[in-house]
Amino acid sequence: MIRLLRRYFYPSWIRSGRVVIGLLIVLAVLAAAILAPVLAPHDPAEQDLMLTFQPMRLGSPFPLGTDGLGRCVLSRLLHGASLALKVAFIAAIGAMLLGAALAYAAGYLGGWVDWTIGRAVDVWMSFPPVVLSLILMVGLGTGASNVILAIILVDWTRFCRVLRSEVLVVTRRDHVAAARLLGFTHWRTLLLEVVPATIPLLITLLALEMGIAVVVEAILSFVGLGVKPDQVAWGQMIADGREAIYQAPANLLAPVAAIFVTVAGFNLLGDGLRRTLDVRLVEGRG
Amino acid sequence: MSLLVARGLTLEAEVEGDIVPVFRGLNFALEPGRVLGLVGESGAGKSMVGRTIAQLLPPGFRVSHGTMEFDGADLVAMAPEHRRSLLGREIAFIPQEPLTALNPVLSIGAQLDEHHRRLGVRGRRTLREYALAALAAVHLPDPAGLLSRYPHQLSGGQCQRVLIAMAFAGHPRLVIADEATTALDVTTQAHIIALMRELQRASNTAVLFITHDLRLAAGVCDDVAVMYAGDIVEIGPAAQVLGASRHPYTRCLQLANPPMLGTRRALYALPEQMPGLRALARLNGCRFAPRCPVKADYCLRIDPPLEGDLHRSACLRPGLVETIEVADQLAPPPWRPAGETPVLALDHVSKTFTTGTWPRAVEVAAVRGVSLRIAPGEFVAVVGESGSGKSTLGRLVVGLEQPSAGRIALAGTDVTAGDEAARLHRVATVQMVFQDPQSALNPRRRVASIITQALEAEGAKFAVREKRVRALLAEMGMPLELGVRMPGQLSGGQRQRVNIARALCSVPRLLVADEIVSGLDVSVQAQLLLLLHRLRQDHDFALLFISHDLSVVRHLCDRVLVMHGGEIVEEGPTETVFGWPRHEYTRTLLAAVPR
Repeated sequence: MIRLLRRYFYPSWIRSGRVVIGLLIVLAVLAAAILAPVLAPHDPAEQDLMLTFQPMRLGSPFPLGTDGLGRCVLSRLLHGASLALKVAFIAAIGAMLLGAALAYAAGYLGGWVDWTIGRAVDVWMSFPPVVLSLILMVGLGTGASNVILAIILVDWTRFCRVLRSEVLVVTRRDHVAAARLLGFTHWRTLLLEVVPATIPLLITLLALEMGIAVVVEAILSFVGLGVKPDQVAWGQMIADGREAIYQAPANLLAPVAAIFVTVAGFNLLGDGLRRTLDVRLVEGRG
Repeated sequence: MSLLVARGLTLEAEVEGDIVPVFRGLNFALEPGRVLGLVGESGAGKSMVGRTIAQLLPPGFRVSHGTMEFDGADLVAMAPEHRRSLLGREIAFIPQEPLTALNPVLSIGAQLDEHHRRLGVRGRRTLREYALAALAAVHLPDPAGLLSRYPHQLSGGQCQRVLIAMAFAGHPRLVIADEATTALDVTTQAHIIALMRELQRASNTAVLFITHDLRLAAGVCDDVAVMYAGDIVEIGPAAQVLGASRHPYTRCLQLANPPMLGTRRALYALPEQMPGLRALARLNGCRFAPRCPVKADYCLRIDPPLEGDLHRSACLRPGLVETIEVADQLAPPPWRPAGETPVLALDHVSKTFTTGTWPRAVEVAAVRGVSLRIAPGEFVAVVGESGSGKSTLGRLVVGLEQPSAGRIALAGTDVTAGDEAARLHRVATVQMVFQDPQSALNPRRRVASIITQALEAEGAKFAVREKRVRALLAEMGMPLELGVRMPGQLSGGQRQRVNIARALCSVPRLLVADEIVSGLDVSVQAQLLLLLHRLRQDHDFALLFISHDLSVVRHLCDRVLVMHGGEIVEEGPTETVFGWPRHEYTRTLLAAVPR
């Protein structure tokens, strides 16, 4: 009877408030990033040393004020969004591809492949992630593509570990064995019987990883090991705004708020998707 | 005076905003010292009776009318504190899953002490004495050693004994056993039942024995109440209800149960399945009428009252119950010429597993030196208890495990190597039907896609697959619309049919079926057995049927192999082995089956 009740209570992911709010935030940030050249009142690099540390005032030419070099904070914030999102999307997808490929290999093939990949992940995860990414940045040099590479090289383990256990569970299900008995090749079995069952988890991890990538990019930019100095990045804005916290607090608070909202959006989306897509949470086994 | 009385108990459930009547005025009484069996298939509402007593109803369920009286006090209206003081003391429960019912992080001693403290026992030494006495009462060897053990170190049967010890510790007046032996092996079940009977007689306890197994109920219970879709359709002394049924449902259930004694008769397969909770709202009159073989038009309108003196039944046409019959004889298996190449030949096959890691690796032999032959078209059963190696044997045959020693040949070709050539030969000759359709069917594929997966592997065109879908669904007796459904939208019986259809799609010469009817209701089981008999007449395949259920094996298979500890201890024609068992273990197994 309970199974019947559950079957009738068929939740669709859109019904989750978390997913809707998270998606709206991410879409808003994405729109800001794409439309930054149109929306921004000024060129983000345009300096006016006569108008430094202007206060926040709606209706003025500088709604969020200006920084120490007289650059428009709002314009820089909008342009910073495009870098943050670019890094978030590419780095998260890159980490997913690397981590997932190894996770499928480890979980499906098992045996010594699993053992080797598992130990590699162990070793990799024993480095503190921030330190590892800083070392990588020092070695690779600054620049947006190097930030992305550093995030991929650090965070693939997150995907690998979580996904591997899921792949292991799915691979042990009888329908995977049945597919092999019916003459499916390994490749086909993996692609048609194992991968589809792990897609919800993958999407969830991807959304969460995007939030993490935004934070890591901000950290690297904050310490000056992120993008090149002529590119706008939120982390860099925080580093600059730190010194003028009393004259123009918006210089610090605006990028902090931007990071907070973006990461919250990704996390809400990820959490919402986990709750609605994860079969174990929705149906149980009863 | 009766100990437990249900008077016009009406239970309602809220399903998607509608109020559905689950129980429509349930009436029964349980006298002190008697055992009342509640029998019926899943969804009949048996467990809801137990849950009403404890007031542990699922969300949305509530008692709208009537009372459930324990010793004259209504358990439904009673203050929760009062009820809680009765539960565990006056009323005790024996749960279905012994391993999950015990706390895995506390030792057996700690859990017994906790229970005894609740019953008012104080003092460390006294608690220990009580715990030892409780374990001794359920005939557990070495009670002192057991106290410091944890549930996972005990077998299922031992855990169930501990739970029975707890249930009877407070000298309860009522014990509710909800499918207490379903998860156990048949020989363990026999011991547990004997133990429960002994304790029940000793302390004159009343037992509400909830089970789906009619034969078990016949052996254990004084009185039996048969439930169907929330109604008690027949109630009375066990011998009369199960011996001279007056309700068509009881009669059909008994005819659907393969007998352990007498001739191998045909089974009665009730069409369809029990209505779900949602469907109850639309059912007026007799709820069994839509499936009833002797219904009349008025049955669908009039709700039959429970009539009779001692043996009461709720049927408007009780005189017709006797007319429900099945054929006395099974159709003989199709004739085969002798001396064909066996479709499966195992020679001294062994399989050892290594558990643990070096240097503590331990080799466990699951299968030891098994040799067998299966002729084309022959139905052979492998029986044994859990851990006897019968499932490993099945997996060795289909190639999911590779043998450690010995030789496996399929239709004359050696496949021991397990290489690509062997795999392709296996794909063409042998298929497996898995036990649990929940796990065996990809929840993301539609039925049509699942049952033609073999064609997909060959790269067949869509038109070819569509044609095969039509043929297979028709053969399985399923409507064509089911082809577009997802496995989650099917009933248990339908899922198992899909499971069988997928294996039959590539027309294998040997089918390995691992416990494919266990866990299904009797009427669904009968439908599937009937289907297998029919498929055997139409197709040319041999069956290796792995099962723990001897009555099903007796009904379906020509030959039986008894496995114990990884070895085949006895083999021969089913009738011979079951009629004149020679090995000690076979005798134990047969003696444990309730009949």
